[in-house]
Amino acid sequence: MSVITTIPARRFSRFNAERWRATPGPFKVGAVILVAHALFAILGVFWTPYGFAEMGAGLPLSGASWQHPMGLDQIGRDVFSRFMHGAHIVLMLSFAGTMLGMVAGTTLGLLSGYIGGWFDEVTQRIVEAMISIPFLALALVMIIAAGPALAGEPVLIVFVVGLVYAPRIVRIARAAAMDIATREYVAVAELRGEGTWSIVFREILPNAANVLLVEFSLRLSYAPILIGALGFLGFGIRPPTPEWGLMISENRNLLIASPVTVFGPGLGLASLVIGFNLFTDGLSRMLGQRPVAGA
Amino acid sequence: MSVLRLLASRILFSVLTLLLVSVLIFLILEALPGDVATRILGRDATAKALELLRSQLDLDQPALVRYFQWLGDFLRGDLGVSIATGRPITDVLGPRIVNTLLLSLFAFAIYLVLALVPAIIQATNRGKAVDNIISVITLVLLSLPDFLLATILLFLFAVAVPILPALATISEASTWQETLRAMVLPAVTLAIMMAVYAIRVLRDSLIEVLRSDYVRLAELKGLRPTAVLFRHALPNAIVPALNVTALNLGFLIGGVVIVERVFSYPGFGTLLIDALQLRDIPLIKATVMISAVVYVAANLVADVLAVLLQPRLRTSR
Repeated sequence: MSVITTIPARRFSRFNAERWRATPGPFKVGAVILVAHALFAILGVFWTPYGFAEMGAGLPLSGASWQHPMGLDQIGRDVFSRFMHGAHIVLMLSFAGTMLGMVAGTTLGLLSGYIGGWFDEVTQRIVEAMISIPFLALALVMIIAAGPALAGEPVLIVFVVGLVYAPRIVRIARAAAMDIATREYVAVAELRGEGTWSIVFREILPNAANVLLVEFSLRLSYAPILIGALGFLGFGIRPPTPEWGLMISENRNLLIASPVTVFGPGLGLASLVIGFNLFTDGLSRMLGQRPVAGA
Repeated sequence: MSVLRLLASRILFSVLTLLLVSVLIFLILEALPGDVATRILGRDATAKALELLRSQLDLDQPALVRYFQWLGDFLRGDLGVSIATGRPITDVLGPRIVNTLLLSLFAFAIYLVLALVPAIIQATNRGKAVDNIISVITLVLLSLPDFLLATILLFLFAVAVPILPALATISEASTWQETLRAMVLPAVTLAIMMAVYAIRVLRDSLIEVLRSDYVRLAELKGLRPTAVLFRHALPNAIVPALNVTALNLGFLIGGVVIVERVFSYPGFGTLLIDALQLRDIPLIKATVMISAVVYVAANLVADVLAVLLQPRLRTSR
């Protein structure tokens, strides 16, 4: 029997000082932005300059100042404090939703790609159908279907983000599994008599890790936008929770009186997504994947 | 011949996909466990209101019967009656679809320019400052949520420098100049959102084509650079961008929801949001189904175009 030389790709697990110096610039900038956002979000859980729901923190609509960098809204709530408190909500919802989509999508996609046959056919048709419904429409319809009892609950948002993402991730995972299934070590594992689950999760999954990691990062970049859009349209997290999309929507009436209440949180949201995008771009280059174009 | 067979199988799969979409929409909206009427009206609805809604939605029939009735009606062009307004959905939808089609065409025309021009500039100036500057701008725009970009443009051109109307409320009474002016901001927002995805793909594929042998040959033959670019390189570089354009059409259908909302444009997107807010199930089903039909049709067209534009694909698939 010939020696199997292919080693499972584990490059992603080794980040050290040398690697950091050798990493592409965009990745570093992205990573720094993301770390700053994470620290800001953690701080926002424990401390904000004013209470996030505290009315009368200052003169309503008085614009930006040192005390109120993002101004004050109609009822005198400090927008910066709300923005700060909302940071961990946005990050956690994005992360949980993407994670749910990744777990569901990866499991189904890898199984579908490896098993093939009618199971694959059925899965692909359902995935195709789900992708054919514009994702925002799909998300909104699911929120309506969940009914008024669940509306505005974080659990529902996480679930919806996961369900919108899952079919898109299934496709990526399936393509990776179909490619890896032809390798020698999978054939060897089959000859050893390993079961389907064991092959999928112990042979195929580790080798698809690079592809999946980039996909995770890409989906994570888009999650704050999706969650923000739901909030903006009034179908997201329930007020007065300061989710950023909801805040931008609420303060839009103040666009003429105090634009900073809209563009402050807007800038914050955009910088988070820029951080994610740069990070994803750098990550995909470092892991030898094709640069990703989004969508 | 193989092109025809390919076409036939693609069409067949598209129809199958749409059938599945109809099942999915029906399942999500009407066949989830629990009482549909209670879910729509909330727990504190009166028994009378619940009863009325049940009869409006034919909820006394089994789900399977209701599904096939809906599907049959849909295929015959009967979309049912809107619960909120009591009007036939086809009457409500018609003008909205026309408005959104107008907006989309306008946006698409701007999109072509916004995608092609920067990509050509980048590819012909590879590695130079202008290439990097456009890359950075693209990345920033790519990271802007559509609702934020729409709000920024609204602020810039309707509040700070008031040259365009903030609200795109058009009606049959508006003249075509008014309609066009009202559509500028929403159309530009949509075009930018679509273009940022296409620019990257188009730039990369154009660079690849510009390095190929046949472009070299065309240059060595002594053709003018513009002739090489537009007659030889561009048609071949556009194929990968076609896929993005199909994806973009999918985005456009979702994007109009937000952009129309921001500018209060009376189109398909605002209708969907209204339907969702009023929990008008027949109207929701009809609008979502139609958006899926458009998406699938757009992908089909993009696939067929890709085959026709690149002979290599005719045999390899």
